[in-house]
Amino acid sequence: MARMTRREFLKASSAVVALSGLAGCASTGGAPTTTSTPGDLAPNRSGRRVIVIGGGWGGATAAKYVRMQDPAIEVVLLEPNDKFISCPFSNLVVSGVRSIESLTFGYDGLRKQHGVKIMRESATAIEPDAHRVRLARGFLTYDRLIVAPGIDFQTEQIEGLAAAGDRVLHAWKAGPQTVALAQQLKEMPDDGVFVLSVPPAAYRCPPGPYERACQVAWYLKTRKPRAKLIVLDANQNVISKPALFRAAWQAYPNLEYRASNKVVKVDAAARELTTEFGDKVRYDVANVIPPQRAAAIAVQADLVGVDKRWCEVNHVTYESVKAKDVHVVGDSTIGIPVPKSGTVANSMGKIAATAVVNLLNGRPAPEMPPINTCYSWVSDTEVMAVINAYRIDSGKVVQIEQKLTPGQSALYAHHAEAWATSIWADILA
Amino acid sequence: MQAFVLVAALAALVPATAAAGPVDTPGFTKAFSCSACHGSAGAARADAVPILAGMPAWYLKKAIDDYASGRRPSPEMEPFSKMVTTLGVDDVAAYFATQKREASPIKLDRAAIASGRTAATQCAGCHGQDGRGDQAKGTPPLAGQPAGYLLNQMKLFKADKRSPGDANLTALKALMKGVDDPTLANLAAYYASLGR
Repeated sequence: MARMTRREFLKASSAVVALSGLAGCASTGGAPTTTSTPGDLAPNRSGRRVIVIGGGWGGATAAKYVRMQDPAIEVVLLEPNDKFISCPFSNLVVSGVRSIESLTFGYDGLRKQHGVKIMRESATAIEPDAHRVRLARGFLTYDRLIVAPGIDFQTEQIEGLAAAGDRVLHAWKAGPQTVALAQQLKEMPDDGVFVLSVPPAAYRCPPGPYERACQVAWYLKTRKPRAKLIVLDANQNVISKPALFRAAWQAYPNLEYRASNKVVKVDAAARELTTEFGDKVRYDVANVIPPQRAAAIAVQADLVGVDKRWCEVNHVTYESVKAKDVHVVGDSTIGIPVPKSGTVANSMGKIAATAVVNLLNGRPAPEMPPINTCYSWVSDTEVMAVINAYRIDSGKVVQIEQKLTPGQSALYAHHAEAWATSIWADILA
Repeated sequence: MQAFVLVAALAALVPATAAAGPVDTPGFTKAFSCSACHGSAGAARADAVPILAGMPAWYLKKAIDDYASGRRPSPEMEPFSKMVTTLGVDDVAAYFATQKREASPIKLDRAAIASGRTAATQCAGCHGQDGRGDQAKGTPPLAGQPAGYLLNQMKLFKADKRSPGDANLTALKALMKGVDDPTLANLAAYYASLGR
């Protein structure tokens, strides 16, 4: 990259709220006063800079908790979206029970309350040996990096899915697709067929597809009683809370569940899905949740294992087993016996932040286990849940106990609302 | 911008080993998992979960012990209480006991508070006139807890689903059975309004 003019430099840095390296530059009214490497968007002079890639459940939490625990550490969060939209509870947007606005939050809390420097940009590459993160116009250096990029879809694994474009939605990253899927459901013929395709494990939010089945079935039961929902599951059984979901589905005779029905082809023109056994299923609305892997940046940086899908990490520090000073949290990780859930990502964010703060201060990272809570809405008013507690044993996360709610109830819905209110604030406020 | 330059220059002077945040607060790390539901430093913002900030250590330890043993059945709190026990309940209880209490942001109905005040006379004998509880009697403080949480607990007592079979609670549950749900809601509003 060519050396920038000052004008270009300042323009390029406008998204950076007062990165410390910019100060020397601005004070002289000319070129940077100290030697800087071409392309370095903000020289790291403190030697205590943490960069976080991704402002989701894990990354935003990590950014906040580093600053909370040691305000002398500079934290730069790279997040291309200007709003945080919660995936948990977004199935309620599909069924019209909640608005997308009620799940949408800004990053002002991180910026103003915690002094996190937020750049609305995507990281394009990680260079662990040089301790650099590449952006479109240059790079930033770090002392420790926390990678929380979430998941990407393996769209190519389903023939015709890419070509189907906006006609066949996943709605598995809360946002415009969530709203669009709700609209498709609303506009579906009264005697229509909604087909939901569940990907093979591992994928983001194990109970999520089954909760979505509940929400779509609830919507159809109350608004389009002649319509039908077919769930094509690539897995051999419901892979989360099976007894509770099957009990909940008793209320939805319009829901037909087919296990071991992996979708391999989409024909958007004929409105037809094909399973690996060659069965063809006609639809009016198809919601295909594709197979998943860690987001591209983690794959490109070779943080993934031999499966080229997920990132293995140390169970105490969340440092990548493949790259020094690079920590990975959230849905892109594997190997810790936890689900890819929002609560887990939030929990990993705190623990990784604590590890980073201690390591940067020359102390050992404390051994902290993650936690998990997954609330699932089975109707507009009732919720059931799975809860997991863990401990650290010889440096590894092991489960203490998993508990299920004894059934679904309005009381657990009350708890779910409390969880959401609290954890959104824990991430962002 | 000049002021910012000064700040940046001062920041650069901070020694690399300084850590002024809660990384040095005993119990912070062991307690931070709780904030996913109970709020930052135990300052719950939601209606259905108790505020842990400022909770007496003896009562938090009793609650954790009761949850972990299954005496107080809760599918959510039983696993987490076992985790807290493995981490060290004394550290967690001491941490929350020393956190500053912040008023719950949940709005309360004035008429419900007034009705609840009248109905609360029969509670004061054990929980105190100010709802602050009494360790000698084993009664927890109620003042300032979210109304939703207090109401849920009273309903669980009434249905004998909270700590079923606990002889210490027989009289309380008998009392609850004689109170209708709207009155319980008023009581919850009243105690939630105290100490705000």
